[in-house]
Amino acid sequence: MEPPAEHVHWLFATGFLLLGLCLLAEAVVGTEVWRRRAWRAYLWPGLAFALGVLMWPVMTFFTNSTLHMLAHGAWAEVLMAAGAVELALVRGKIRSPWWGLTMAAAFVVSGTAFLVHEQNAWFFQRSSFLHHLLGWTLLIAAVVPLARCVRPRSQIVATCFALTFIVGAVFLYCDRDVAPVFGHISPLAGPPHR
Amino acid sequence: MRRALLLAALGALALPAPALAHATLINTSPGFQQRVNASPRTVTLTFDQYVEKLPQTIRLYSTRGELPIPRIRDDGRSLVATVPHLKRGAYTIRWHAMSGDGHVVSGVFTFGVQTKAPPPTEAFGASGPTRTEDLVRWLYFLSLAVGVGGLGFRLLVARRRLPGRFFVLTGVGVVATLNVGIAAFLLRAEDALQLPFARLLYGDLSPMARTRFGTVFVAMTLGFSLVAALLFLAWLTDRDVFLWPAFVLGLLFVSGLSLSGHSAADAGSSWKSELADWAHLSAACLWIGGLIQLVVVVWPLLPELRRPALLAFSRLATVCVGVLLAAGVYLAILRLPQLDDLWTTAYGRVLLVKIGLVALALAWGGLHKLRAVPIVERGGTLPKLRASIAGESMVGMIVLLVAAILVNAKPPA
Repeated sequence: MEPPAEHVHWLFATGFLLLGLCLLAEAVVGTEVWRRRAWRAYLWPGLAFALGVLMWPVMTFFTNSTLHMLAHGAWAEVLMAAGAVELALVRGKIRSPWWGLTMAAAFVVSGTAFLVHEQNAWFFQRSSFLHHLLGWTLLIAAVVPLARCVRPRSQIVATCFALTFIVGAVFLYCDRDVAPVFGHISPLAGPPHR
Repeated sequence: MRRALLLAALGALALPAPALAHATLINTSPGFQQRVNASPRTVTLTFDQYVEKLPQTIRLYSTRGELPIPRIRDDGRSLVATVPHLKRGAYTIRWHAMSGDGHVVSGVFTFGVQTKAPPPTEAFGASGPTRTEDLVRWLYFLSLAVGVGGLGFRLLVARRRLPGRFFVLTGVGVVATLNVGIAAFLLRAEDALQLPFARLLYGDLSPMARTRFGTVFVAMTLGFSLVAALLFLAWLTDRDVFLWPAFVLGLLFVSGLSLSGHSAADAGSSWKSELADWAHLSAACLWIGGLIQLVVVVWPLLPELRRPALLAFSRLATVCVGVLLAAGVYLAILRLPQLDDLWTTAYGRVLLVKIGLVALALAWGGLHKLRAVPIVERGGTLPKLRASIAGESMVGMIVLLVAAILVNAKPPA
């Protein structure tokens, strides 16, 4: 039995929220303080990589449409790739800061996947609005990892990078209908669809 | 303007409005591939949200062609078709409906009346594997050889740290296995659903995921995503401890092809045929993957490892070839019990081509074993040995192409 799609979305939203909070903490206290415990350096890249690995079951078990399958597959791969590159940078296996472009590419691919797999207009329904919002947020926010390559010590860039994940997590929490889990809560939601 | 946009965004987030994906089929009656004892009066499709019927929203096919459906009604979240009395046989339902989000969702499933239903990949209208699928299957075999064979080479032959190129090559093999697997699944689904690409994007793939092929796709995708993660961790931490589970998992999940192919599904198949098929494929992966590692990693980057690696690989290749031949002969006898099937059937003729190519690869490998290995063993060098090993691996890759065609072909009943 597959869990409801809502639970899966919220699980990943929680993952991205934790990731964003780690990044925000690092941005606030500074990298030197954050990395006084060596394991903390691996925390958010490891989380990103683990979220990528966990996305594969989502891709394989939610096969209700080709579009969803392809989008989830793309997210799984780019999350794994971006997490892997950041882990390798932390570990010192790769050195060039331009490897950070992988994260920018991951944002672009993820944003495009959101926009392509949502083919309704912005105001068609809440999920359409949020898919567009997520897609464009990620596409525009791809500038931030680019800026990280050029200004790796900038606190503003680091904060923007963290906020991208936090905002993305909030959007992802809001992305699904609550009705399948909590029932039809309000008449404002119109007639029950589920 | 900025404030209005912000307010609109906050409103959209705060107000409890329906947030729907497109409709998902959650239940059918009769069920996917269900065998029913009597003709059903209706065919019912139940979705997770409201749907609207379209012209010819449900179409019913026997093995001979389309059957008329007198009445179809949409009943909220269900589509109900009244069907005529159905005789004993296999039936296909093709459906499409307007989802709440305005998209047309489509799907196919099969059921049997007093008989076993075929999988949706053999639904009425599905044409079977195409040349593109042969190519994709070949790429899949190649990816497995590069990924799993590469890991086997590292652990069983080299037994020492290899440069980054080993990880790049093996990683490409594992990632390609994941992606080519997805392509293979989608091609099979496209054939079953018989939809143009734009509509395939909203096609329901869940019946395909419940077939033997689909189950294997799910298992292999999950397995190889773990292999990819372990391989990366081995590179990141410089610890071999991650390579062994990656190799074992890889070898284990190679069995997915044996558990979904002829050796598992056709008449005469048993656990012995599945085991033989797995041994055949695993041995081929180790052999060809090892050759590729020798040519791409050891020869150009590690001159000091050439001699020990060639000698150790020669021993491994001998075992692999033995397993390959024993399992191959057993499977050939199982699928073609009559000798003349070899030249009178299409499957047999492809098998003959494969046997010819395997003989060429074996002769090439034998030449290396009997001529090159003794010279290298004595500390001598052969100037064109790398090119010769590359040639052997090329023949191996062509064997995999013919094997891909063979796997997609139907053996004689």
